[in-house]
Amino acid sequence: MSILASEWLKVRSIRSTYLIIGLSLSAVLLGLGLAAMAAGMYDSAPPDKRPNARIAELEEVLVIVPQLCMGILGTLAMTSEYVTGLIRTSLTVVPRRWPILTAKATIIGFLGLIVGPAAVFGTYFVSRWILGDRFSGAYTTEFLDRLPILAASSLTVPVFALLGLGLGALLRSTAGAIATIAGLVYVIPIIIGNLPEPWSERLGSLMIGALPRQITGDGNASSVFGSLLPPAAAGACLAAYAALPVLAAIWLVRRRDV
Amino acid sequence: MLDAVIELHQLTKHYGGTLAVDDLSFKVEPGHVTGFLGPNGAGKSTTMRLILGLDAPTSGQALVNGRRYATLSRPMHEVGALLDAGAVHGGRSAYNHLLCLARTNDISATRVAEALEQVGLSGVARKRVGGFSLGMKQRLGIAAALLGDPGVLMFDEPVNGLDPDGVRWIRDLMRSLAAEGRTILLSSHLMSEMALTAERIVIIGRGKLIAESTVAELTARYPSLEDAYMALTADSVQYGAAR
Repeated sequence: MSILASEWLKVRSIRSTYLIIGLSLSAVLLGLGLAAMAAGMYDSAPPDKRPNARIAELEEVLVIVPQLCMGILGTLAMTSEYVTGLIRTSLTVVPRRWPILTAKATIIGFLGLIVGPAAVFGTYFVSRWILGDRFSGAYTTEFLDRLPILAASSLTVPVFALLGLGLGALLRSTAGAIATIAGLVYVIPIIIGNLPEPWSERLGSLMIGALPRQITGDGNASSVFGSLLPPAAAGACLAAYAALPVLAAIWLVRRRDV
Repeated sequence: MLDAVIELHQLTKHYGGTLAVDDLSFKVEPGHVTGFLGPNGAGKSTTMRLILGLDAPTSGQALVNGRRYATLSRPMHEVGALLDAGAVHGGRSAYNHLLCLARTNDISATRVAEALEQVGLSGVARKRVGGFSLGMKQRLGIAAALLGDPGVLMFDEPVNGLDPDGVRWIRDLMRSLAAEGRTILLSSHLMSEMALTAERIVIIGRGKLIAESTVAELTARYPSLEDAYMALTADSVQYGAAR
């Protein structure tokens, strides 16, 4: 408990935490801007074109903002200690070592669980408010029907936060961990998209971006990834993205010289 | 507190093919300052990391109060250490930095304020550490080591970056901590300063023990502690790149 209090203070006592959380929540403002722009375009389009106008679910597009930001927060929670050398002091005062990582994971995961839904649901509500029944009623679906996918998208945010933490601890390098996360989001999906079938769809189904819709069971055929996993397997896959790096880090930090 | 000692038994550490600490055995006793000397790269910092359980020895062992450091549950109450004054997050205030450390060992915020007072940083307690001079960071590191009021203290070059005022302050602090019966291991390259501060001296070179003696014995045999150091380490001066 005392270690949890210490790690909580570590997170609270530096400005970059607030900056990163603010940036994560800026997804809502981006959503507001994009929705207003789309509404303007829709309203100025000739009436006969309007029925064919489509819009992507903005909260599912913009979730990438809190994903990356919280991934960076998780990374920095670990690498800022390695870069400064503070990790030596931290591990000296807690020689068992692993409680430091579990405390960090608890706090970073908790922040992700707050920030993720705030960003996703916030984006959803401002989009719904601004777009109304435009775009063939894309945002007039009952909120309760949209709730599962909104929740599943929100959950990817703490997953990214913990993935960042785990990679930060394993690689001990801010650049390395953030590059890995960015690669996972941007580069690997492009490579996988260009693989021959069936590998493109098989591997694509495992990408984080593909998991929320597989978890809710409304995997659509138009997904750029793939949708081969049943909901439970997709949920397990999402959990593994967070758990495996953190568990590997806990295992390694107990053995590694610092 | 009189049985509080650091004991090294045939401590050895390899990093890949490099032998950093080689079959090193010595004891550090309570009640006086023990100076820890050796050329750059001799293995002083590695030895301190091995004592603190940060690095695992290849063979041999280091004991603090008769136990391996890694088995201590609230170590700040037994051992305080300053390895690298720069190892702080520049964005955190001095007070929060210390409080983060204190919390892990159930040390109170009152004690944090006391430690800041003791090292003369009360006035800048709420300032971000990034703006501190090296001397101020050394004082902050010393405050961190003192937080748990430990019987064993280790300082790796704490005098670096301090002004003459600070150098004298460290000297007086070390001696008064030793006079309270604590065990103090202090590394430094400033021989004149060490001659004034330490009573016993351990000299290592290339990871091996070169001499374990008292300042009085060394200055009786040689013109000064500096001359003693130069003579004893003449064969051990080397730099990493020469390997």
